[in-house]
Amino acid sequence: MSNQASEPVSLIPPWRIGVDVGGTFTDMVLSDASGAMHVFKVPSVPADPGEGVVAALGQAADRFALPLPDLLRDCALFVHGSTVATNTMLERRGATVGLLTTEGFRDSLEIRRGIREDQWDHRAPFPEVLVPRYLRLPVGGRIDRDGTEYEAFDAGGVAEAMKTFEAEGVESVAICLINSFLNPAHESAAKSAVEANWDGEWISASNDIAPVMGEYERGSTTVVNAYLAPKVVAYLQALDRQLRQLGLTRSILLVQSNGGAVSVDQVAARPVNLVLSGPAAGVGALNLVRRAAGTEDLISMEIGGTSCDVALMSGGKVGVTDQLIIDGYHLATPAVEIHTVGAGGGTIARVDDAGMLHVGPQGAGARPGPAAYGFGGQDATVTDAQLLLGRLRSGPYAGGAVTLDGGAAREAITRTVAEPLSIAAEAAAAGIVQLLEQNLLHAVERISLQRGYNPRGFTLVAAGGAGPMHGASVGRALGCPRVYVPRQAGAFCAVGMLHSDVRQDYGQVFLGDLDRADRDDLKQGYDRLEGHARASLDAEGFGADDSRIEREIDLRYRSQQYSIRVPLTNGFDPAGIRKAFEAEHDRQFGHIQPDGAIEITSLHVVGRGLFAEVTAGRRERADGAPTPVETRTVYQNAADGWADTPVYAGADLEPGHQLDGPLLVEEQTTTVFVGVGDRLEVDAADNFLIHLSNGSAT
Amino acid sequence: MTGDSLDPIVLALVQNRLDNISLQMGWVMTRTARSPIFNQSHDFSCFIADPDGTLVSQADGIPIHTGGGGFAVRALLKAFAGKIDDGDVFLLNDPYVAGGNHLPDWVIARPVFAGGRLTAFTCNRAHQSDIGGGAAGTYNPAATEIFHEGIRLPPLKLIEAGETRDDLWQLLLINCRTPELLDGDLRAMIGSTRIGAERVAALVDELGIEATQRYFEGILSHADRRFRADLGGLPDGRYEAEEITDNDCFDKVEIAVRVALTVDGDRLTVDFTGSDPQMRGFKNSSLANTYSAVYMGLASFFEPDLPRNEGTFRNVEIIAPEGSVVNPRPPAPLTMCTVFIAHEIVHCIWKALAKADPTRSCAGWGKSVHGVTAGNGIGGGEPYVMYHWNSMPGGGAVEGRDGFNQIGHLIALGGLTLPNVETYEQLYPVRFVKQEFRCDSAGAGAYRGGTGIDYEVEVLEEAEYSFRGEGVGLPSGWGAAGGGTGAPGDMTLYPNGGEKFEAPPYGVRRFGPLRMTARSPGGGGWGDPKRRDPDRVLRDVRDGVVSRDKAAEVYGMTVSADGRTTVS
Repeated sequence: MSNQASEPVSLIPPWRIGVDVGGTFTDMVLSDASGAMHVFKVPSVPADPGEGVVAALGQAADRFALPLPDLLRDCALFVHGSTVATNTMLERRGATVGLLTTEGFRDSLEIRRGIREDQWDHRAPFPEVLVPRYLRLPVGGRIDRDGTEYEAFDAGGVAEAMKTFEAEGVESVAICLINSFLNPAHESAAKSAVEANWDGEWISASNDIAPVMGEYERGSTTVVNAYLAPKVVAYLQALDRQLRQLGLTRSILLVQSNGGAVSVDQVAARPVNLVLSGPAAGVGALNLVRRAAGTEDLISMEIGGTSCDVALMSGGKVGVTDQLIIDGYHLATPAVEIHTVGAGGGTIARVDDAGMLHVGPQGAGARPGPAAYGFGGQDATVTDAQLLLGRLRSGPYAGGAVTLDGGAAREAITRTVAEPLSIAAEAAAAGIVQLLEQNLLHAVERISLQRGYNPRGFTLVAAGGAGPMHGASVGRALGCPRVYVPRQAGAFCAVGMLHSDVRQDYGQVFLGDLDRADRDDLKQGYDRLEGHARASLDAEGFGADDSRIEREIDLRYRSQQYSIRVPLTNGFDPAGIRKAFEAEHDRQFGHIQPDGAIEITSLHVVGRGLFAEVTAGRRERADGAPTPVETRTVYQNAADGWADTPVYAGADLEPGHQLDGPLLVEEQTTTVFVGVGDRLEVDAADNFLIHLSNGSAT
Repeated sequence: MTGDSLDPIVLALVQNRLDNISLQMGWVMTRTARSPIFNQSHDFSCFIADPDGTLVSQADGIPIHTGGGGFAVRALLKAFAGKIDDGDVFLLNDPYVAGGNHLPDWVIARPVFAGGRLTAFTCNRAHQSDIGGGAAGTYNPAATEIFHEGIRLPPLKLIEAGETRDDLWQLLLINCRTPELLDGDLRAMIGSTRIGAERVAALVDELGIEATQRYFEGILSHADRRFRADLGGLPDGRYEAEEITDNDCFDKVEIAVRVALTVDGDRLTVDFTGSDPQMRGFKNSSLANTYSAVYMGLASFFEPDLPRNEGTFRNVEIIAPEGSVVNPRPPAPLTMCTVFIAHEIVHCIWKALAKADPTRSCAGWGKSVHGVTAGNGIGGGEPYVMYHWNSMPGGGAVEGRDGFNQIGHLIALGGLTLPNVETYEQLYPVRFVKQEFRCDSAGAGAYRGGTGIDYEVEVLEEAEYSFRGEGVGLPSGWGAAGGGTGAPGDMTLYPNGGEKFEAPPYGVRRFGPLRMTARSPGGGGWGDPKRRDPDRVLRDVRDGVVSRDKAAEVYGMTVSADGRTTVS
């Protein structure tokens, strides 16, 4: 069911293509010059993700009755979000890495600063260290605490180490020396020595990859980069070559963890920046929603099969931090702030040995998946509960990729939840959904309240295949007036790719007092970072009129351990900077230290290459009311019980339509549930807006 | 009452909601507190108690805070019986009269009223930056009486019917070396309990007063059933254990904590009769801390998702003889107790449980040898206090996992983030030389203990050294289920041009610029070393943390010179 009609659709060139390779499906979105959007979904091919990309393109070419070379030739922008880096980490299929460290500190990587993610779960081992101790080899030489050389560098030590690496089959070399963030001379010397003694291609030096203070985080980031590079870069270069040969005229772009895009050539040096590639593309989608919904304050809840990614946009901006954890490995790379919880359609409900119901965080995944899939899943999941409650129906979904079996769902819920709790299957199903929605509510509160934002002032964006089923209910519990549902909710990240600008972040440690810092040193620092940013934008083909360079500065009160990032708007003006810092400190922590000493900890530069904004797809305003395709008996909530509920086909809903709940909309990639008393509006951008009644609680 | 009359869906929703309220109280605390200790080290815990002072929900906080908050609420209930009103907020800290664990941890407790009835308490226990006493920063190793350790607070009404008692507030501030921090932190604690109270009140409003109490009880009895199910898996019997500290903070003297666990079906008695009398120094354990340490030892032995409210331990009877190190009489000092002697109490519980269920047993964690250096920055710069965290010890093994080679304190189950040496070199006048795994120091086993650390640092200016060396001397990482014991630790100072100095466990000395070395203790091993996976032994040899000699002697494996293969 990839498209509603069967006759070919004509496209207006040029168009943009976004492809999001997920663990189960590869989503492709094409948006042409008129803003019309088309979605394609094909199964991913984990062994060769590129195969799934080409399959999706083939399906699109068929759909538009275009030869593939023509489809690619008129594609002005091809943006790729890929889990290839993430999966290489999760599956531990990276390269054999050798690490050069300063003598005395070869174990920082394995000590991990002693950080336990869940201290109560003390039986859980740390994730396997990516470089075993016998491949972490010390080299002599020391940069002192003030950046001067305390002990000369020993290039001979590198030659020795390389013999060991050679013998051990090392494919990629990482270098992280103490205090290289103050003076990279020894790392540069080490890099030269490696090159002189080794034929290998992949060398990652910490001051290139993540020039931050802190040997653990900098080293960990560098090692992950070295671990990913051979595999990930090879994949991306091969895909780029293949698509260019097939007709694409410019290099594909990749979405990075910072939410911005970059070309294969540039990301090849820092593939570690791709680990959050998929979810980070959601930021682009928020940019689209921001324009369509006319608000700068959004909280998105993207719910898939196993998890929910929550992100917050305030004043049109999504926060970017330098701290990211991927499967237990710490990275100091710029990444959009996303909070992920184990809550999705495949989330498992279970009753513990003392009679308490739990929903999540474990999920049934794609295989075996929910019991209703019929792939052998024995556990009751959220999807099973929605099916039993009538919000989903038995039969094929996602173009026949899955077929839901209501009997299997009821059996699993009865056996694993209803009987142990001595309640009816319907009550159990309603309870499972209620608990899931409570988890979602808490996740949204965490990303907002914990950081000093009141979620009531935000518009909730319900996305992902499963999000629009829960958006209205969670929005009501939060006290939000309305919920926005993108029509292509199930391909949210692929849509986002079409609206991602190019972005590169550059930073350096700078230690000094805000009021006494040497202006020349500051200028030199920023000039150097801007030089990098400008060169990068030039290489991507951006000039002065379609690019922007922003300066930022990290600050803290003396004796604090964490910094706050503040934009520099009017040159370097300490009084103005203090004010901006105080405002942000007050918002986050509720107080300031009047006249407190403020320290600078680092300088940042963001280079942005801006693509023309795509006009959102506009359709003619509808006249008349749509007709439901069926009416189903659906469970609403505790107060309203079961009610006859009209079900609409998404294609029948057009801009201007306004419908009162309860109702369901079955769209290509999602199902929207609108509750009793809520009102659904199709907005001018052809998306759904749910106006919430402020009545019954969840 | 059982949970029979309760809707199981509502029960689950209420439990999650209370836990989320506790969490949110923590967010308010980290967002609004002034001291870095709260927003960066999380040395506090937020909790909700029922009207009888039974702890129903707890979030954040280090494991040694487990379940101890109920003592504080029950103390104020006793002190203010019949005089608790809407708008009151209570403050306390004293371990002898107010259910405190140690003086630096202050508790703010706020009653929540609905329809004129007391329905709950929302509370925050937090370690203050300074509370007066004989040493800055709340730890006074020279203390021999609680009066040397800071201001003592019985249960007090800090806010009475919505009005803050300013005279009392001023009394608190003038007893503190950092009054600005205390002022801001107290306000943050009060604010967090207010947000918690509003949310609990909304819950009561939705459920009704009677129903709320029934659901609180349902949550507690669920936890009780979970723990009894776990206990039921242990064979009936009496299991004894002993753990020794070899100093009283002044002299070398062996002081024992002794425990006998009696498992009788799904009931458990924890009897400390026979433990040594209270000591001169500040490691005596308050009753609340003893209970928390027992709870922590029990909870960490079973599943990590075991509820940690007081219902979990309803069927656990604890006997702690008065006048002993686990329940001293006033005025014994006790500020150190949340680390040491809590470490020894947790070890005792683990040792005894190991006899009941060797499979689940946890080997001992090394005790720390970290000292504290205080002085001025380069060339007479600003004063600083530096903890040598980079010399922390190794942890103990469990089945399926080797001990952590370097990890924070046992009483936090490692919940301490060690500093980067690069960061410390910017903050303090030091140059680090080494922080690497020791060799042949780990307790051997099918799963070996953590190695502990070879630590070396140069301190570039004159400074004062306060030693915190429980890990010096006796080995602390005992083996479980047939595993071996980890190596003990030591610490040596080499003053430039002077005589070398072996650091004692406690004490204070002043030195000029020097080089300091420490070897932190290794953790205990789990299971018979001969059953260790040969690949793991080979890897340890290649990694240089086990020598070929040791591999042959302890693991029965003759390893080739290149460390790649075994030679039979």
